[in-house]
Amino acid sequence: MSGFAGWVREATEPSAAAGKPEALEGVRVLEFCPGHFGGMVAASILAEFGAETIKVEPPAGDPLRLVAPEEIQVAGTGLPFLSEARNRRFVTLDADHSDGRGLFRRLALSADVIITTESPERMEAMECGYPSLREERPGIVYLSLSTYGAFGPDAARPVRDSDILCQALSGAPYIVGEPEGKDGPPLPHQAPTRLGNWHGAFVQGLWGAYGVLAALHCRAETGIGQAVDLSGAESLMMFADYNITWMHTGGKARERVGNFDPAVFPYTYIRCRDGYTFIAAYNDEAFDSLMHIIGRPELSRDPRFSTPKNRVALGNERELLEIIEKWSGDLTADEILVAVEEYTSKRGGPAAAVVTGRVNRPLETLAEENWRERGCFLRPRVPVYGELLLAAPPWKMSGTPARWKSGCRPPGSDNRDVYLGILGMSEEEYRRLAEAGAF
Amino acid sequence: MPSDPGPFRVFAGRAFDPAAIPGKPEALDGVRVLEVATRIFGPATADYLGLFGAEVIKVEMPPRGDLMRYVAPEGFFWKEVSPAFLSLNRNKLHVGLDLHPAEGKELFLRLAERSDVVVENLRAGTMDAWGVGYLQLRERNPGIVYAANSGFGQWGPYSAGRASYDATAQAVSGFSAVTGFPDQPPMKAGFWVGDYTAALMSATAILAALAARRKTGEGQMIDLSQAEAMIRTLDWTWPYAGLTGKDRARHGNVDPSYPPSGIYRCRDGFVAVSVRDEDELIPLAHAVGATDPEEIRIATPKLVGAFCATRRVDEVVRVAEDAGFSAAPVRGGKEHYQDPHLRARGTVCSVDDPLYGCVDEYGPAPKLSESPGRVKWSAKPVGWHNERVFGDLLGMTAGEMEALALKKVIGKWADLPGARPPKGSAP
Repeated sequence: MSGFAGWVREATEPSAAAGKPEALEGVRVLEFCPGHFGGMVAASILAEFGAETIKVEPPAGDPLRLVAPEEIQVAGTGLPFLSEARNRRFVTLDADHSDGRGLFRRLALSADVIITTESPERMEAMECGYPSLREERPGIVYLSLSTYGAFGPDAARPVRDSDILCQALSGAPYIVGEPEGKDGPPLPHQAPTRLGNWHGAFVQGLWGAYGVLAALHCRAETGIGQAVDLSGAESLMMFADYNITWMHTGGKARERVGNFDPAVFPYTYIRCRDGYTFIAAYNDEAFDSLMHIIGRPELSRDPRFSTPKNRVALGNERELLEIIEKWSGDLTADEILVAVEEYTSKRGGPAAAVVTGRVNRPLETLAEENWRERGCFLRPRVPVYGELLLAAPPWKMSGTPARWKSGCRPPGSDNRDVYLGILGMSEEEYRRLAEAGAF
Repeated sequence: MPSDPGPFRVFAGRAFDPAAIPGKPEALDGVRVLEVATRIFGPATADYLGLFGAEVIKVEMPPRGDLMRYVAPEGFFWKEVSPAFLSLNRNKLHVGLDLHPAEGKELFLRLAERSDVVVENLRAGTMDAWGVGYLQLRERNPGIVYAANSGFGQWGPYSAGRASYDATAQAVSGFSAVTGFPDQPPMKAGFWVGDYTAALMSATAILAALAARRKTGEGQMIDLSQAEAMIRTLDWTWPYAGLTGKDRARHGNVDPSYPPSGIYRCRDGFVAVSVRDEDELIPLAHAVGATDPEEIRIATPKLVGAFCATRRVDEVVRVAEDAGFSAAPVRGGKEHYQDPHLRARGTVCSVDDPLYGCVDEYGPAPKLSESPGRVKWSAKPVGWHNERVFGDLLGMTAGEMEALALKKVIGKWADLPGARPPKGSAP
């Protein structure tokens, strides 16, 4: 690999990250998000950038540890928790016990950032609501995550936050999935469709980390801390394209159109010999390129397809898909990629914007050389839980790279380190609190 | 609301009041961002920084500019701008600058000297080949944070030549393979989720890099692949593949981690039902007909489906609230536009734009009490802010700008819908 690519590789090689400084060194994060995946994500992102992160679990362990698709557990912990339990210390305390609450408040007052998914009412009952902590620690950044947010007419709705609730409210499933057919009762799959992963919770965590970083930036400039209120529904909502601007300017709401698209076409999955692949060529020049690639150059002038506006009429999208699949049906996804690259390498600018990529099953993704070489997956062997396959932090950075440092540990594994080392507790006090059932 | 809201609810109602936002400082005030990007991945990254107060200079190739300008739902333009372009380009200064001629490169380097961040999403290595990549920029400004957004990364076997869109990342990451119904083909999300997710990750890394720079004065290069960003979001997909050697299946609308949580059809729409544990599962089982707490397995997706099918969405939500499980309606853009809750939170907000008048938008999701994000103005035609940026920031005279415009180094909009100002408004 030569020139610039070689330089970037040398400068950002993930296997060399361990010796480099970390962006958020010196920032302490306290995570109190029992049973909540989005809260874990927020904390993980900050921890991947180097924040010292302490996860507080109830003495019996976080309820999320028990969530186990296909009932697969490793040493009593399910795979969702194991996938996100990284770069943090695991402490326990009993928030229903007065000594446990005291412990939590001491931890909170030692932290720069609090992340919580518990209700304001519960946090106040623990004497750890934002107004109370701020009095003693004005620089604190306090992130609270929920379904609807902490203010507004729906803020007090009695729900327990989850990915599916946030997805439903976000507007995402509304525009994912097959529309209903014209004849007969709708089939089960002709419905607003959830994103198969916990994308709602993940994006909630990601916006949470972003909000915290913006608040820390402000604190570095001004010294003031603040509260960050985040609704998981609104987090994914920000990704719902032009929903609002189109309503406002054209009075139109987007509806679901399956694998078609109301604004760009071709922009869809096409059937090929070995499954499905993505094909896009939606500006005029790229569309002309694609029509050459499939051996139908005359279609660039066909009135059904000759302008972007005509190509996105749904009937024309269906006809065009049929034409493209006549070509793609006999080819593998890789052959399509080669055909596209061969043609577009001879064209520049907008004519080269023909884009493809195989619809991979997870195991196919894992087998791709690009991700292996770029260190996208990790197979660490950690105590108790053994070898786990995990997604690495996605950022390659030359100065302060994000990195995976440690995996899951059993509940309370770090009690002694944190309570003695950070809170400065004596052995005697530690023993007394343990005996009293504080953690 | 409870009759006696606690201190945080009282605090929140006051501290997050959208009406007070214009008088408050901005979190990223003083951060200047140069955007050299098209379509979504790069522009959304800069948009997220701009929402929180960074000054974003969007560099577009004159006269057509960002090709996203011509992506219009059903071919619809409003006042000569696409609603799909508006939502990605708030609070930006738009300049038309060609990076191919030497004078264009020099102008860009001068802008970079005065900037903190560069965001680009051209094919890997393009900016370097043009002489305005990270290595050239850091010679002039060692503090620059340079985010290179791409499909497959700046290095590695797929880095050369491969283009990528949102759905490339949805496809190659495995995201689509786990979305949809088991007896149906993989489902592409109908919104550009592979761009936004990666854009937010890019913006997050930029803030981390700015935090590092505060300590050292040094900038850095960030290489982010949008497919790798999507891979990171797939929760238990990877440990499952590692332990079982199998592909995680598509589960349709039931969440396999929290059955029977999922999306269900009602008489008048769709509802999400959510149960995280037995505390919610038992009330749900009772609601759908179980009488004995031991029978909680009666709350199968089939029974929950039958329960919802004969009821309205609001009935299911009310039953859930009374019984002690969770439910929420499946909402779309029209409901968002009309939702008083989202309006009260500024999540749907109106901006009074000097060129377009009133434009409604999604506002920023994280609500910061002291330095909140905000939409200050809408996207603008190509080169709309040339005088402000080249004149006020770089100190160029009108004559110098005119000379560069004659040579087509700088420029303004093409006479096309998507690029040009509303009729009758051009200066």
